[in-house]
This record gives sequence, structure tokens and C-alpha cells, in this order.
Amino acid sequence: MTSTSSRWAFGSARWLWLLGCIAVIAVLPLIFQDSYWRGVMTICAINIMLALGLDFIFGYAGQLSLGHSAFSGIGAYTSTVLVTALGVNFWIAALCGIGAGGLAGVLLSVFAVRLKGHYLAIASLGFAVITYQILVNWISVTQGPLGIYGIPSPPPLTIPGVVTISFADQQNFFYLVAGAAVLSYLMLYNLTRSPIGDALIAVREDEISAASLGIRGTKWKVVAFGIGCAIAGLAGCFYASFIGTLVPDAFFILESFMLLAMVVIGGRGNLWGAVLGAVLLTVVPELLRGIGDFRLITYGLALTLVALFLPGGLSGVLIQFARRFGGGARGALSAKGPSHA
Amino acid sequence: MLDLLPIFAQQIINGLVLGSIYVLATLGLTLIFGVLGQINFAHADFMTLGAFAAYFVARATGGNYLIAIVAALLVGALLGSIINGTIFSPLRNADETRPLVATIGVSVLLENTTLAFLGPVPYAFDSPYSSQVIRMAGLFFTAQNLLVVVIAVLAVGSLYAFMKLTFVGKALRALAQDREAAGLMGINQKQLIALTFVIASAFAGLAGAMLGPILVLTPFAGASVIVKAFAIVIIGGFGNIEGTIVAGLLIGLIESFTTQFLSPGMSDIVVFGLLLLTLAFRPTGLIAERREENV
Repeated sequence: MTSTSSRWAFGSARWLWLLGCIAVIAVLPLIFQDSYWRGVMTICAINIMLALGLDFIFGYAGQLSLGHSAFSGIGAYTSTVLVTALGVNFWIAALCGIGAGGLAGVLLSVFAVRLKGHYLAIASLGFAVITYQILVNWISVTQGPLGIYGIPSPPPLTIPGVVTISFADQQNFFYLVAGAAVLSYLMLYNLTRSPIGDALIAVREDEISAASLGIRGTKWKVVAFGIGCAIAGLAGCFYASFIGTLVPDAFFILESFMLLAMVVIGGRGNLWGAVLGAVLLTVVPELLRGIGDFRLITYGLALTLVALFLPGGLSGVLIQFARRFGGGARGALSAKGPSHA
Repeated sequence: MLDLLPIFAQQIINGLVLGSIYVLATLGLTLIFGVLGQINFAHADFMTLGAFAAYFVARATGGNYLIAIVAALLVGALLGSIINGTIFSPLRNADETRPLVATIGVSVLLENTTLAFLGPVPYAFDSPYSSQVIRMAGLFFTAQNLLVVVIAVLAVGSLYAFMKLTFVGKALRALAQDREAAGLMGINQKQLIALTFVIASAFAGLAGAMLGPILVLTPFAGASVIVKAFAIVIIGGFGNIEGTIVAGLLIGLIESFTTQFLSPGMSDIVVFGLLLLTLAFRPTGLIAERREENV
């Protein structure tokens, strides 16, 4: 590494990457003018947020959660019910959605801290099934399987005398969600580069050794679930107001498997891997739509093959590639992926 | 007021039938977890494929249900052998989440491939025993229900006899207790693990053939049962066969009673609530055997 600054510094190469990403986000809706692709891009940004949160929990803290979609569902329903039934302002409702997602994550982690591996996987699956059934059966609040219709888009933001940004406009909505995705990334990036990230990784690699260094696994698992699920809650709020309708099926366990596929295929323990996975698994199936709806078959096959042959996912392959052919990209492609035993 | 007693008795019968299906569906999962400490997420789809194999064989043979059951067993065994060879065997020494994630992929793949070929419309799988209704003292059940219970008892009994009485069964138990020590005693791990998968998945096929005529036969038939099967495996204590049987019957009873007295959707909430409570307060399962392994 040529950088002499401490690992805390957000080095100049990283500023360039960030500016590049923002430029790409700014240009994308100008290139893709039709509402179909703008919709795909917005869903993609939502999926990126979900995959980032799951990667924080699974990739960094090493807790295999099979119920991540439940947390976005909790966020989505919390904010939507507040907006449609109680007339609460969207932005306040979104904060409540974030809080509800995070709280639910902490609630699950109360069970999770005592469990690991397969037990946690099944517990989180059970949590997702309970959430789904509550959404279906609590008809007085959630309208059950019929769903909630006509969810308004977020109210316009007005800076008096300067500008009014309407989120009924697809382009502005995309900027809003993409901005939230970038902020989520930056927050998680800084967290994972901080001592908190080291603590999480220590817990992931060997909880007993971590405990002998004074790192409390219990505490850090709760932190990871709380943060990862709060982001999922926010993604859920955006999803609801973007789609305009909310049905429990959008948060069924199959959706959790899709999120897991994004993280695993992109490469876990590597935030930009999660982004890569989310983009690939959102956009490629749309491109393949012409040859029939093979979306889920592709997901399943890709998930199996990557889990079998590429433990580091696609980002792991890219990192190896970069290490072999030149050091220039090393700074940007640094990874703290799990040790794949 | 209506007399509740017949309703109670009828629900106990329904619960035991459903519980027997759950026991059949979970035996294989428990066996694999007990011996190997692994979860085969595609177990559900082995059940589905077993059910479809039984359906097509029954149709081809003019409704011979017994041949259909054998076909389902064979299909299950074959799938078990394949998944062991392609996923569990190559990932034997990998991080334990990798085989789980890989089989989630296999499950999604199998379900949607089946869907692509067979469509979402439910198949009417009529076993010759479905239409024979047995009435006794105001209660009624079909001969198929009785057959399910009998087959479940036979399956459990033969698994027990195999594990306790035969040399191979003893070797399997040794392997479950301590893989390294068993290896040192000259036990061929590779063969035994392959055998475990074959037996466990044959049970999945059998479960499919049994539930096909009772539940709705679609590409998601197995998946609708499997999530509960996971709950049963945990509530019974991972890898504990006695616990699985008790938990399977218990969940069957809980489900039939909540469906009767509350609503069908509530049964999932009750079952998974019980799962989370078990995990929180008694993570070794109802019948504790393997302490300190999951914490």
C-alpha cells in the first residue's frame, strides 16, 4: 500500500471512487429515460440496501440470517400503516420504519446470541415465517393477503424560495433511494473499517478467542443485527411507497433467499461484493426476461454453483485477479472477507 | 351447546395423521443432522419429486399405489446419493454455512424447474385408499390416513431396528458421536455418510408418496411442509430421533387444534412461536441428548 495515512482516513483513491459512483448514479436516469428501466434501477437500489445490511450481518458478523426480507417487511408495513391509516408524515413514518426494522433485528438477536450456525439459520427462518403469517392474518391493520393499495409517494421536499423536489417524479425518487443506498454503504464502510468491524470479524472467525481478548460476542451480534435490519427497514419504506401497493408475499422467505443469493454470489464479507451481487441479480434477470421467466431457476443455479466453487463470490475472484495483475486496484479492492476454511 | 368431545377426538385423529406425515418428513433431516451436523435444505424438494414420481408411476401402472411408493423411495434414494456426491462430499471440510447455502440454491432450482415442467395447477393424486372412508363411533378417517400412520410407524421401527441392531447402524451411531474416533476404529466414513444420505432421502421420497394424496400436489408441496419440519427438528432436539417423533406428533396435534378452534394461519404462528421459545429457553430440544453442541 502506498497510502501512508492511517486506516481511518478516507483516502483520495476512495474519494475518487465515491465521486465516480455519484456521477454514475446522476447520469443513469438520463440514459434510461423509460419508466420500466427507471423502475428496475430503483428496485436495484433498494436491493443494494437490503444486501448491504445482510452482508453486515452474515458477511462481517458471520450470522447466517435466512429471514432478512422480514425486516424490510416490518419497516414497510410500519411506515405504510402510519402514513395511510394515521396520516403521519412520510419522513417521520420512515424513521419509525427504520426503528421498527432495527428493533425487530435486536429482538431476533436476543435469540440469536445464544445460537450459531444452523440453529440461527432455522431460528431466523422461523422468525420470517411468523412475520409473514402475522402480516397475512392481522387483517384489521395490514389488510391481510389483499394488501394495502394506493400508498402515496413521499411528499415533496421544499426549500422555500429555491426549489421543490417532487418524489412523484420517478427520477427524483431514484435519486432519493440511490442516495440512501450510498449513505448506507458509507456508514457500513466506515463501521467495518473501525474497531467495531474488527470486533465483528473477530466474533465471526472465533468467538471464544474473541472473548479471550475481551470482545463480547453477544453485544456485537446485537449491534450487527440492529444496524443491518434498520437499513432493511428503510429499504422496506422506500419499496412500499415506490410500488404503491403492499402485500405480504413481497416479504416471503423466498425473498430472503434471493437476498442471500445476492450476498453469496457477490461475495460475502465485502460490501462492494454485496452491491455487485444485488446489481447482477436485479438487472440480469430483467435482461433475460425475453427468454421466459427463468429468473428463479437462474438464481438457484447461480447460488449453488457459487457456494460450491467460489467461496469468496465474484468479488473474491476479482480481488484475486487484481492481486495477480497489478497493484493499482488493490486499495480500492481491499477486502476483509471470511477465511474460507 | 354442541358436544365438544367428538370434535376433540376427531382433531386428535387428524393431528396424529398430520403428525405422522411430519415425522416421515423430518426423519431424514434428523438422521443427516445427527450423523453429519448438516442440513439438507433440498430435502423438501426430494419429497415433492418423490410425490410426483409416485403420481406418474401410479398413473402408468393403472393406480398401483404400492409400486408407486417403491418408485418414490428409489427416486429419493437416488437424489440423496446425487446431493451427497455433488455438494456435501466436496464441501465436507468447508465452513458449515456453505453446504446449507448451496442446498438452498438446489432447492430454489428444483422447485422452479419442476414448476416450469409441471405447472402450478395442483395434480389430483388419488390413492386407491383415499376414497375408502372408515367410520368408527362417530369419527371418520380414510384408509389413506390409516396407511400413513402405519407406514410412519413401520419407517420409525425399521430405522430403530437398523440403528440399534445392525453393525452398520452401530457404526453410524459411532460416527455421529465422534467422527474422528470412528475413523480411527476403521469405519469407512465416506461410504457411511453416502449411505446416510441415501436412507434419509429415501425417507423423503416415502414421505412425498404419503403426503401426495393427502395434501395438494404442486411443485411447492414439499416446501409447504418443510419449514415446519425444520421447526420440528429443532423442537425435538437436533439429531435426536425420539425427540423428532414426539415433536412431530405434537406439532401435528397443535396444528389440527389451532385450525379447528382458531384459524389455519394461526397454526404457523403457534408452531414457530413454540420454536423460538424452545430456542430461547431449551435449545437442546424437548428431549435433551446432545448438550452444549449448539451454543
